[in-house]
Amino acid sequence: MDPRTLLDRRLALVTGKGGVGKSTVSAALALVAARAGKRVLVCEVNASQERVAPLLGAPPAGTVIREARPGISTVNVTPPEAMREYGLMVLKFRTIYEAVFENRLVRYFLRAVPALAELVVLGKILNEVRLEDRGRPRWDLVVVDAPATGHAVQLLRVPSALLDTVPPGPLRRDAEWMQAMLVDPARTALAIVTLPEEMPVNEAIELDQQVRGLLGIHREALFVNAMPESRFSPAEEVRLEALARAADPLGAAARAARLQALRAGQARRYLARARAALDLPTAVLPLLPLATWGPEAVERIAASIARGGEEGRE
Amino acid sequence: MTGVRQTIAGRRIAVCVGSGGVGKTTVAAALALDRALQGGRALVCTIDPARRLANALGLSALGNVESRVPEHKFAEAGLQPRGELHAMMLDVKRTWDDLVARNAPDPARRERILRNRLYQQMSSALAGSQEYMAMEKLYELATDRDYDLIVLDTPPTAHALDFLEAPDRILDFLGNETARTLLAPAIGAGKLGFRLAQLGGGYVAKTLARFTGQEALSDLGDFLQSFHGMYEGFKERAAAVRELLSRAEVGFVLVASPSQVAIDEALAFHERLHAESMPIAGIVANRVTPELWPDSAPLPDSVALRAALAAGEPGDGALAERLAATFAEHEALARAERQALQRLFAASAVPRAVVPRLESDVHDLAGLARLAEQLG
Repeated sequence: MDPRTLLDRRLALVTGKGGVGKSTVSAALALVAARAGKRVLVCEVNASQERVAPLLGAPPAGTVIREARPGISTVNVTPPEAMREYGLMVLKFRTIYEAVFENRLVRYFLRAVPALAELVVLGKILNEVRLEDRGRPRWDLVVVDAPATGHAVQLLRVPSALLDTVPPGPLRRDAEWMQAMLVDPARTALAIVTLPEEMPVNEAIELDQQVRGLLGIHREALFVNAMPESRFSPAEEVRLEALARAADPLGAAARAARLQALRAGQARRYLARARAALDLPTAVLPLLPLATWGPEAVERIAASIARGGEEGRE
Repeated sequence: MTGVRQTIAGRRIAVCVGSGGVGKTTVAAALALDRALQGGRALVCTIDPARRLANALGLSALGNVESRVPEHKFAEAGLQPRGELHAMMLDVKRTWDDLVARNAPDPARRERILRNRLYQQMSSALAGSQEYMAMEKLYELATDRDYDLIVLDTPPTAHALDFLEAPDRILDFLGNETARTLLAPAIGAGKLGFRLAQLGGGYVAKTLARFTGQEALSDLGDFLQSFHGMYEGFKERAAAVRELLSRAEVGFVLVASPSQVAIDEALAFHERLHAESMPIAGIVANRVTPELWPDSAPLPDSVALRAALAAGEPGDGALAERLAATFAEHEALARAERQALQRLFAASAVPRAVVPRLESDVHDLAGLARLAEQLG
């Protein structure tokens, strides 16, 4: 897969099941884009613990955009902060905002409006995409480390849901431009991250159906993360069965090799299933034998993405 | 030390919690199967089981219905249960509808709520809705049925703590008296703006309407109005669920894989359950890489392995290289995982089980029975 097809968009949405490595892939995509000379913003959505900035070797940014390394800024977009910014944008003046929104009753009330939290969070992100400084976009690329499948669909569906239910008014006008940006394949593309395992692949397939049917957002790439290498030939795998019963150390080494081979075989089957079901440009990313996950892991994943994945090594 | 499985043997309700992808559903099913094998009547309530596991349990797509796992499934797995295993899949929307039907004062009100757009959105999509309904269903099963053990698998939430907070958050919304009193009288009269004016002068009302639009406020008003009078019932029920969860007959089982993320979440959960005085029955470290070589001995290099291969086949040298590299990687990972898990185990003295990464996914009753053995 050529990563440029994804990174030449203005907005890249990265989603998938929880625990598949969305933050790592988001950070690595930002790294690849920044090295191509782009100014990149990575948004995490209401993260209880920020992951992207630390993965890039920087302290957490919090709710204010902050440069993690040259060319890459990050931010954690939270509903309360996004609500405040949105309120300020709509009302223009801080004193008015404070008079209205800092009212305890109003705050309580706004919390009760369904989907408002999602709307302001998505609104803040999409607004960053359209911001300009001196006639030039502020960011060449905004990467969204989106929530896991169900929550991501909920978030991305808010504009179209509002268009279905809300009559003309300020909410509807916002929903209109947001939806237009989301479904514009020239500006926006979505990438699905999965692992070569049963549940993540099932969820990726369901997510793909929802993105196509419900959201109408252009899908551009599938990242199959943590793919173990196929190290042993079929003949060697047969031989490992016997060697596993040999005396140590050979027996123990063969048992470790057998587990690796079994895992790789299983991963190949799930990768094949994902490819057959999803029909998307696919980048296979390597399983890294690293105990701690940090900038080194991101560098290696970024290198893999830059060369289009590990296809040649299968 | 007693194992997780033995501890659960003394409980009537087990709740499996942990972040997504750690194998909660499989552990939940294994605990229920174990009780059935021992002679009990056990139920596992799952949220979103893998297809093959669902098949193994005889679960169809029909939600919210308990069904008994048929005899032949056990026979196929070479198992002879002395009790019964039942399984069901939670249907969030149906559970909401049942809850509304039970609390509505009359059929007209029930219909009005079921038809409300905001209700439909909330019951299928509102964050935390799944968690709330999982608790609701558990309470119903625990009070209306006579299972010896009910095992609840919990939704794979992004934030594990949603599970405890969601009911309060949703009830907060349903019982939003401020919004109700502001909006309710305006329905039908079209005087929403007038009513809102009391909030702090016409100025505030107008700016608020600019923010959300008047129709959105009115929709919300209708919704909250139709829930009026039902809130107390919901609230009592939520309090009862909370009381149930703190009883000694309940055991929370924390499931984690040896990844940083999963361990962080399990620790956060442990802290929270502890603070809420909810009984933790054990910790299951799942999918752990087994250690195959003692720490104290140096790992064999390719020369030693090459000598041991001894078959003298062509390519043995290259195979020995790959064996040595794979072995070293395996042991490094196993040791790193052990260290990561020590952080989790140090937090608590509750029973624990370490389940090695199995060679293939568990997708039948025999696999679940083997998993149960590992839960000690």
